Amino acid sequence: MSAAPRPPLVGTPVMRKEDPDILRGQARYTFDIDLPDMLHVAVYRSPAAHARIRKVDLSRALELPGVVAGLTGEQVRQLGYVNPLSPFPFQSRDPFKRGNPTIKFFDHYCLAYDKVRFVGEPVAAVVATDRYIAEDALDLVEVELDPLPPVVDSAAALEPGSERLYEDWDDNVMLTFRVSGGDVDAAFDEADVVVKETIHSGRFTGTPIETRAVVADYDASVKTLSLWTTTQIGHAIGTLVENTIGLPGLKVHVNFRRIGGGYGQKWAFYPEEILVPLLSILTHRPMKWVETRREHMTGTIHAREQTHHIEAAVRRDGTILGVRDRIVANIGAAYPTGGLASIVTTGMFVPGAYQIANYEGQVQGVVTNKTPYGAHRGFGKSEACFVIERMVDRIAANLDLDPVDVRRRNFIPPDAFPYRSVTGPRYDSGRYGEALDKALELLDRDHWRNVKKEAAAEGRYLGIGTCLVIEPSSSTRMGSYNAGYYSVRMRMDPNGKVYVFPGGSDEGQGHATSISQLVGDELQVSFDDVMVVEGDSLACPYGSGSYSSRFSVVGTTAVTMAARALREKLTQIASVMLRHPPGGLEYADGKVSVEGRPEQAVSVSEVARVAYFYPFQLPEGMDPGLELLYHFRDPNIEFEADERGRVAMFSSFPYDAEAAVVEVEADTGLLRILKFVSVHDCGNMLNPLIVRGQHVGALAHGFGGALYEELPYSEEGQPMAATFKDYFLPTAMEMPEMVLEHIETPNPFTPGGFKGAGETGTVGPPAVLANAVEDALKPLGIAIRRLPLTPNYLWSLIQEARRSRS
Amino acid sequence: MSDRVKIGITINGAPHEGEAPARMLLVDYIRDVVGLKGTRYGCDTSNCGSCTIVMDGKSAKSCTFLAVQAHGRELTTIEGLAEGSELHPLQAAFQEAHALQCGFCTSGMVMSAHALLSQNSDPSPDEIREGIIGNLCRCTGYVPVIEAVQLAARRLDPKGGNP
Repeated sequence: MSAAPRPPLVGTPVMRKEDPDILRGQARYTFDIDLPDMLHVAVYRSPAAHARIRKVDLSRALELPGVVAGLTGEQVRQLGYVNPLSPFPFQSRDPFKRGNPTIKFFDHYCLAYDKVRFVGEPVAAVVATDRYIAEDALDLVEVELDPLPPVVDSAAALEPGSERLYEDWDDNVMLTFRVSGGDVDAAFDEADVVVKETIHSGRFTGTPIETRAVVADYDASVKTLSLWTTTQIGHAIGTLVENTIGLPGLKVHVNFRRIGGGYGQKWAFYPEEILVPLLSILTHRPMKWVETRREHMTGTIHAREQTHHIEAAVRRDGTILGVRDRIVANIGAAYPTGGLASIVTTGMFVPGAYQIANYEGQVQGVVTNKTPYGAHRGFGKSEACFVIERMVDRIAANLDLDPVDVRRRNFIPPDAFPYRSVTGPRYDSGRYGEALDKALELLDRDHWRNVKKEAAAEGRYLGIGTCLVIEPSSSTRMGSYNAGYYSVRMRMDPNGKVYVFPGGSDEGQGHATSISQLVGDELQVSFDDVMVVEGDSLACPYGSGSYSSRFSVVGTTAVTMAARALREKLTQIASVMLRHPPGGLEYADGKVSVEGRPEQAVSVSEVARVAYFYPFQLPEGMDPGLELLYHFRDPNIEFEADERGRVAMFSSFPYDAEAAVVEVEADTGLLRILKFVSVHDCGNMLNPLIVRGQHVGALAHGFGGALYEELPYSEEGQPMAATFKDYFLPTAMEMPEMVLEHIETPNPFTPGGFKGAGETGTVGPPAVLANAVEDALKPLGIAIRRLPLTPNYLWSLIQEARRSRS
Repeated sequence: MSDRVKIGITINGAPHEGEAPARMLLVDYIRDVVGLKGTRYGCDTSNCGSCTIVMDGKSAKSCTFLAVQAHGRELTTIEGLAEGSELHPLQAAFQEAHALQCGFCTSGMVMSAHALLSQNSDPSPDEIREGIIGNLCRCTGYVPVIEAVQLAARRLDPKGGNP
């Protein structure tokens, strides 16, 4: 009898190995790095939205005792070796000078020169022996600015006579992109009804509790920069820093081992990632900068601000024949972020979960005097989902149909997968109708319909909303750092312990735990005998980073395949040791044995010792040791768009059916969530504990964006929410009771069947709550066309509706 | 700044004598003078709660105090909960309920929950929500945190806890 296989780790709610260190207060974030003789940086930021810089004078600041150095934008340019910030995520500017998309770039340096273009833009830096003194010195920085007309609103920015942010551009449009499929004109000719809407998605952002921080230590003797930075893309940052600080011979060691939340905000290339290293190079001292929250709210990317001019051609029965959408994104100043990629993504995914054969999306990224725009959990798909899910309800309202029926009528059916969307992506799998049915069952829709009727009789406004979120994950993009592969180095040491070096990084997702589960199962080693080293550019293979939920798709696959390759090698060595062909061997429970003869066995650690210490015993041509590098290329993506802009740029398609009951208090506009249901499908679940945690956390972001979070600007371009006193994150009090359920439809393109997880929850609540609110306020004829659903917004709509009725 | 003051505190059960500029915040004193980096902050306005410690038995946001105000007081930080390699039951419950992800807010969250449980051994879910209202978390959505505190309450006070 052979040994019974150990119970699998994958698929079980294993507790995280990351936690004890964190819980004991021993984890070290960038903020916690102290180096001998370290100096502290404070950044002077533009107080104006748009102005010409007349003067930046640091002389008084430099006289303050304790101040060691300072730097201005002009001085940066005069250094001679510093280049403008290299573009991100694109690898170069050249492929975009013609064709679709068209993109313009601007040479921003790490400090502004000539002009400032948003409140919060770095203008100068001072360096002191402690941060308190550095902050004092900021008060002594003398800056003279000549105000220019601020460009705040994207529609105004598109007016022909508008003030331009970048004088050598002919307008304020940074990006244009067009994608189309089918025959859109014919679809509109054939339509019974055309439903037109203008829908806004508001500006908000991710606000990790760890603000950004950069520590830099330049060793001139070996021209090596040690850099600690709060980033999701450490390897890329190393390359970008080398490109931007053009010192011959410069090499960069990037440390990004412990990141306190990313959510996309740390998926950008930031000026401070050049500024702080440069100050270390100039002073030969280690340098630290920690972002204040106020700096974060203006100097770290925002997201989501888009206006959609959308029209749908529909049949009277609710069939959507075609959609046209003109999308204008207000992307702030043109700094190197993932913002452009995210708005292109919106254009690709407006068709959502629906079989829409004819579609045209036009995207414009319009620069304004606001904080640069970039990635945020849900990356462009959140806006697409909000708009198409709103449209489905608007279509239903126009045709007097049940929105649930319109969804069902248009869903991509389960037998159509893998489904090639009208814009090119290949949706891997899905059971949308079943998920929605399950959500409605858990909601108990019939019961709430009755409650709603009774409430209406008392003059109360209850509403029921639904939505179907798709959250395409694991992205790839032509000519960019996200090149669709994931690399892992793996070593089994002579004692049989396994060391894994992935090319990504962890911002709280629990990679070390997930990897240990995968490796434990594949190599039959204990969970505790696996160590994961991530976020060190010297120890780990190059990788494009952690974003787009790609770890659970390409990362886990690379780990699995690397472990299988090691296991194959172990089996071959065991075959020599046991004098038995490898085909007849069994690898289980820490041993390799001859099938059916358990007494003829060698332990994995015995095999490992042979691999290292008895190389002459290895099969002919085999390398000694048990260490390998595995690269996994995503099979479900393409790099080249066709002539209509269609391309498969995401490889897995998790989704989530959400349903909610809300009550709106008409006299105050206050919204209460009475019941919330989510039925989530991220394929097979690697670790249900982690998946649930990711999903609940994502929902909190979704509630925030739907109900509380917004980044308004005054007409002068002043940000009106720059602290946590005026930018409202949900607290524990704001989380509603939730009913969560999973269904598992395996991803056919990965060996584990995993899809991305942890983003659908961010995407759904804005749509499902807006739909529920509109349903609640239907008696007043109110349509919801923007977010967030604050009491003030809803109250104003109600007042307006009542006025126009009386 | 030359106006340095002497500060004597008891921190995690041990006396600590030090010196700091009069304007130094307690959180910076704990981090940079005492050298305990587990207490952090993520805002400028005393909203995020990552800096929460226990001061004389009550939760306190250490960014809202000057270091000098802590003179003569007894402080407990996240480093003071576990004994040896054993996690404190509250810490263990956080791990079990997956009440942390990136971990940046976790020290403050645990310390708020610790202060709550020391005053109320059997808090209801709503009392827990109120107990951690001053702690912002962007990862967990709070639900697992509430579950962790309930779990810890049951373990620490098996008679009083909700079943």
